[in-house]
Amino acid sequence: MSTNIEVIKRALHREKEARKQAEKILEDKSRALYLLSEELKDANEKLAQGLTEKTSELKGVFDNLIDAYVLMDLSGNIIKFNTSATELFGYDIQKEQLNVMSLIYKEDMKYAMTSFGQLVHEGSFADYNARVYTKNKGVRWVHINASIIFDAQKTPIGAQGIVKDITEQRTIEAENKTLLATLEKSNLELEEYAHVVSHDLKSPLRSINALVNWIKEDYAPAFDEAGLKHISMIESTLEKMERLINGILSYSSAGNGAYLEEHPIDLNTIISDIKNILLVPSHIHITIIKTLPTITGDATKIQQLFQNLISNAVHYIDKEIGLIEVDYEEQDTLYIFSIKDNGIGIAKEYHDKIFKIFQSLGDYKNSTGIGLSIVKKIVDLYGGEIWLDSEPTIGTTFHFSLQKQYNHNAT
Amino acid sequence: MNDLHFLMVDDDEIERLKFKRVLQKSGYPHRISEAQHGEEALALLQDTDNLPDVILLDLNMPKMNGLEFLTILKADEVLKYIPAIILTTSNNHNDVLESYKIGIAGYVMKPLKYEDYTAKIQNLVAYWSSNELIQK
Repeated sequence: MSTNIEVIKRALHREKEARKQAEKILEDKSRALYLLSEELKDANEKLAQGLTEKTSELKGVFDNLIDAYVLMDLSGNIIKFNTSATELFGYDIQKEQLNVMSLIYKEDMKYAMTSFGQLVHEGSFADYNARVYTKNKGVRWVHINASIIFDAQKTPIGAQGIVKDITEQRTIEAENKTLLATLEKSNLELEEYAHVVSHDLKSPLRSINALVNWIKEDYAPAFDEAGLKHISMIESTLEKMERLINGILSYSSAGNGAYLEEHPIDLNTIISDIKNILLVPSHIHITIIKTLPTITGDATKIQQLFQNLISNAVHYIDKEIGLIEVDYEEQDTLYIFSIKDNGIGIAKEYHDKIFKIFQSLGDYKNSTGIGLSIVKKIVDLYGGEIWLDSEPTIGTTFHFSLQKQYNHNAT
Repeated sequence: MNDLHFLMVDDDEIERLKFKRVLQKSGYPHRISEAQHGEEALALLQDTDNLPDVILLDLNMPKMNGLEFLTILKADEVLKYIPAIILTTSNNHNDVLESYKIGIAGYVMKPLKYEDYTAKIQNLVAYWSSNELIQK
């Protein structure tokens, strides 16, 4: 009996020990768990805080977007407007329900539906340009890029769009277009006008010329030497008048950049053409210092530019051997050309004046005072400048620059 | 050499005088009808027994200008065979192009100097005098 008790006592003791041990393990485990959960809690808090930071950052970007930002569900109900969107459409979506369909301009509905279909099927659309109704600003033209938003399971849950008000931009573009068309038309009219005027002015000149010739033919014996001289003076005056009219005609078309052609022009060819046209007297030598470049431009205008300058040089040379030198230097965006002569030279006080129309220094008989004003116009057309160095009795050098690339439409 | 019958259409009296004088002085056998503008010229061309061999036509004229006249002329089944030559001051590219489009036998610019004019007209008359024409 006593043996039994002993056995039970021992067993109990063992059990007690085991429980004690188990309790200790449990305690350790639960302490570890507690620590772990504290750590987790900490991490969670950090995460949550980070998220809040991200969200408020995004919210800032969202609100401060210059363009309107619109968020909607798949049925088109507006969920969110940023500040610009609220301002553009004029609705406070916190207070009133709004569906995107009610914003679309009636005539653009079909286009809007097509674009919406593209959005659903392809996930986005870009460069949608159409009209929308707004609460306070009437109908506005907008440009929209939009895309579908998906949740974590890749299920579409809504759509977002960036909306840009392009009403003013469109108005300005339309105005520019009209302005350009008007300008082109008036340029054309002006050129037509110059032709008509020059025709009407030349007709009486031709008639006077014929009549004077008939008087000369029929009554020559009746005139003395002075009378015949006067008749020939009438003829030379008529010729001068005709040159003036032609000059005005070419001046009025010289500044017209509307029909400028753009071709490569070998300036060496231009100079040798000019030598043939101008009937340069044999005592005058035209030299190209170094081979001239090939430039891009309107051949007629460029030739007129060089021809007028070289022709001037030829006419104003008073030396026994005339020297005309054509040279150039190249810079990044432009060429600077020079035409140097050993003629009579131009006094300093005339250096600006000579480029104005009809301001001839008039020392040779065919001068009309138009040549250099045409030169100036053409240089202007190519965004260049013209200036001169000159010393009376020694000679003159004209310098002018031409832009390599020049956008005539910008002027 | 053919005895040419010209129809001169020009509103400027002195231009018509110039043409007559040059032909007279150069001694070509010729005949000249005159009209001041297209309408008058068309009226003259109604007389089909007396049609000109060559028409000289100014462009800028009152009432009916040169190109309008030319268009009517070239639309006519009979008159369209008469060679028409433009004699004008306009060297406007559009005028030249438009004239050739409608159909002309030449385009002559009136020079300022009378002696240049004389030379041009003498060449023109000499050329057409040596041409075989439908009439006759």
